[in-house]
Amino acid sequence: MTPGAHASSTERLQIEAEADVVVVRRRARELAIAQGFDAFAVAAITTAASELSRNVWCHGGGGHALLETVSDAGRVGLRLRFIDEGPGIADLELALRGGCSTGRSLGLGLSGSRRLVDAFHIETSPGEGTTIEVLKWARFPH
Amino acid sequence: MLPDTTPVTPDAHTLALRLRFFRIDPGVLARLAALRPFAERTMSDIIDRFYEHLLSQPETRDYLDDPALVERLKRKQAAYFLGMFRGEIDLAYVQGRMKVGAVHAKLAVATQWYVGACTHYLQLIHEHLHRERASDEERRASFEAIERIMHFDVSLAIDAYIARHHESRLRHQEAIRELSTPVIRVHDRVLLLPLVGTIDSARAQRVMESVLVRIGEEHARVLLLDIAGVTVVDTQVADYLLKTTSAVRLLGAKTILTGISPQVARTVVELGVDLTSLYTRNTLSDGLDLALSLLDKQIRTIDQERV
Amino acid sequence: MSSIPILRIRGHLLVPVQPDLSDEVVNRLQNDVLEAIAGERDRSGGLLLDISGLQIVDTYVARVLADTASMAALMGRRTVLCGMRPEIAATLVQMGYLLEGVCTALDVDDGLDLLGLPR
Repeated sequence: MTPGAHASSTERLQIEAEADVVVVRRRARELAIAQGFDAFAVAAITTAASELSRNVWCHGGGGHALLETVSDAGRVGLRLRFIDEGPGIADLELALRGGCSTGRSLGLGLSGSRRLVDAFHIETSPGEGTTIEVLKWARFPH
Repeated sequence: MLPDTTPVTPDAHTLALRLRFFRIDPGVLARLAALRPFAERTMSDIIDRFYEHLLSQPETRDYLDDPALVERLKRKQAAYFLGMFRGEIDLAYVQGRMKVGAVHAKLAVATQWYVGACTHYLQLIHEHLHRERASDEERRASFEAIERIMHFDVSLAIDAYIARHHESRLRHQEAIRELSTPVIRVHDRVLLLPLVGTIDSARAQRVMESVLVRIGEEHARVLLLDIAGVTVVDTQVADYLLKTTSAVRLLGAKTILTGISPQVARTVVELGVDLTSLYTRNTLSDGLDLALSLLDKQIRTIDQERV
Repeated sequence: MSSIPILRIRGHLLVPVQPDLSDEVVNRLQNDVLEAIAGERDRSGGLLLDISGLQIVDTYVARVLADTASMAALMGRRTVLCGMRPEIAATLVQMGYLLEGVCTALDVDDGLDLLGLPR
C-alpha cells in the first residue's frame, strides 16, 4: 500500500484475454479523466495500465487488475494494482532496466511504465506470481 | 484569483475511523438527537450572543461590517447549530462541514479566529446546559457529546483549510514553472524556447510538455532550442535535450539546438554524448537562418535600386 | 468484424487510425495495409498513417505501427506517421521508445507535402 493515500473506490477487472488489456486501459483512462488528470498524465497512466495488464496476460498467464481512485491532503490520484499467479520474474533487475524482451513485449514494459508514474512497487518471486502497484497524482493544468 | 476549491472529502471508511477516534458512537449520536429540543429552545440566544462576541473583537469585526450580512450568517448559523443535533453523521454532513471550513479559508479567516470562535460557542452552550433541570451526570454527558461533535467539526474545517492551502501552493509552483519556460513564436511556424538556469527532471518534463503543446497549437515546423543561458550541461541535461528533440520529431517538427558555447561543446564531446543527429548552431541568429532555410525561406537585404 | 478503411489521395494511400487499437486490430491493420500496397498497380505513391485520432499507444501498438512503416518501405512505399498527439509523443519518449527511422509529419497536409506528388 502506498502510504498517505486513501482509497475511495476500488474496481476489479479480470485479465484473461487480449481484449481485457483494452478494457483495463480504457477504464484507467476514464478514471484518470474523471479525476481531473491533464492530457499528459492521462496518456502516461493509460499507457502504464496497458503495459502492465499486457504483462499479466502475456507473462503471468492471466490475473486481475485493481483500479482505485485515491486522495491525500487535497490531491487526487489513481492507484492501479496488477496481480497474477504466474511464474514470477526471475531477473527483476534486468526486467526493470528494460533489457528483458520476450514475446510480444518490447522489453520496455516494466522499465517504461516505471518512468510514467509517481510511485512504482513490485513484488515477485519465482513460482509465486507478481504484484505490481503504480500510483499517479493529478497535476494542475498548464 | 483562485477558483473555488472543493476539498477532498473522506470516504465511508476514513469517516468511520475518524468517528471512532473522536469517540462518537451511536450512544453519543442518540444523546445529541435527544438534545434537539434543548437546541431549538436555546439557539437564538446562543447565536445572538455569539455574534455579539464576534462584533466586539477587532479581529473578527472586519469580516462583519454589513448588518444584512450578519442577519444572513445568523440564519446559516442556526442551520449549522441544529445540524449537530441530527443524531446522524454521514458523508453529506462531512461535506457540509468541510464546505464551511473552505468558505472561511477562502475569506482568509485565520484558523486562530475560527478555532477561537468555536471555543466561545462551546462556552455559550455550556452556560445554557447549566440552567437545564438535569442531574450533574446528565449535564456532563450532554456537554461531552456536544464537545465531541464540535471538535469533530473543527477537525473537518481544518482539513478544508489545509486542502486549500495545499492547492494554492501547487498553483503558485505551477505559475513559477510556467514563467520559467516561455515559448515564443519568432516566425510563421518557427518557435523559440530560450532555456535559462538549471534544469532538473521535473522542469525538463514540464518544458517538454509545454513545447509539444505549443508546437501543436502553432502548427510549428521548427523549434529553436537555445541553451546559451543554461548553467550546466552534463549528461543528464544532454539526455533531457535529446528526449525533447525526439518528442518534437515524433510530432513532425524539427529542433535546432543553438547557443552552444565552446565550453558546452567541449563537455558534450568529452562526456561522449552523441548530438550528431541534431541540427546544432553556435548562435541563435545562425539557428534562425537554418530554420528559415528548412522552410524554404531566407532573410536578405532589399535591393536599394528597386525600391 | 469491421475492415480497416484505406483511402487513396493524390496517388498516396491514407489510413486513418482509430482512437484505441487492440492488438488484434493493429495486427489486422498491418496486414491490410501491406495487402493493399501489394494490390496497387501504381507503386509510386507513399503511405500516410494518420494517427491524430489515436489516444492510447503502448509500446506494442507503437512497434507494430513502426514495423508497418518499415515493411511498407521495403515494398517501395515511403511512409509518414502523421499527427501524433503531444501527450503520446511525450509518453513514448519517456518510456525510451523513440521510433528512430520513422518519418513523421504534423498532420496529413504536411505529410502530403513531404511525400510530394507521385512520380
